[in-house]
Amino acid sequence: MAEPKTPWLYPYREDPQQTRLGQPVFRPFVPVSLAIEGASTPELEGLIDTGADAILASDLLADELGLDLADNEGEELHAVGGRTVVARYKTVSLRLHHHDDSGARREWEAPVGFVDGWHSFGLVLLGNVGFLDHFTVTASRFSQAVAVEDRDGFDDRFGVVLA
Amino acid sequence: MEAAGIIGCVKPTRTDFKGYEGRYVATDTRTGQVVIADENLKVVLEKARKLDHVVVGGRVPHADEPIYVGLG
Repeated sequence: MAEPKTPWLYPYREDPQQTRLGQPVFRPFVPVSLAIEGASTPELEGLIDTGADAILASDLLADELGLDLADNEGEELHAVGGRTVVARYKTVSLRLHHHDDSGARREWEAPVGFVDGWHSFGLVLLGNVGFLDHFTVTASRFSQAVAVEDRDGFDDRFGVVLA
Repeated sequence: MEAAGIIGCVKPTRTDFKGYEGRYVATDTRTGQVVIADENLKVVLEKARKLDHVVVGGRVPHADEPIYVGLG
């Protein structure tokens, strides 16, 4: 079966972490999974975050993949929410799953920073390097949906931006 | 008007998280309903593998927990 053409659309999903002025908070979550050497996670809520430099994930997922984070590709300190967290990076495969029942997915490799003690909602943060450099993403709070398409989609729509 | 011709009427997916505070949850991607909940994430991940249309969210905080901006 042919892969559905992009853009792939995903409705915003409710985030249980907070309400804003008593109203529910909706965020651009997309279903992703992590994989390496035959091990993989089930589908996870991945939060698209244009303000994040990289892909970050809970260290609990590294356990699930059998990763030894002591043998990492580098560590970074990230200042988040007024505190500092340590991310230990490993390159893994990421899969973006289509919203329908087709089983369609896109798969690519990227470095993921696994953060110790990250246990809250949304176990994967999809930032610039590793996600937003692979896709063109259009998020609309007005339409309550996010569209993910091929990365050339931006240039096709707006032309090449010259510095 | 159909949004990008793929899904007709996009509405945000609502989920009722009440009663699941402090537990990890997985929801049905079609309905938003919580279908798995446990205090142990490994249990949720394992159960989610066996189900279709399920996505693992994470831990639902208690109402009085401080919420960090970004990583919680």
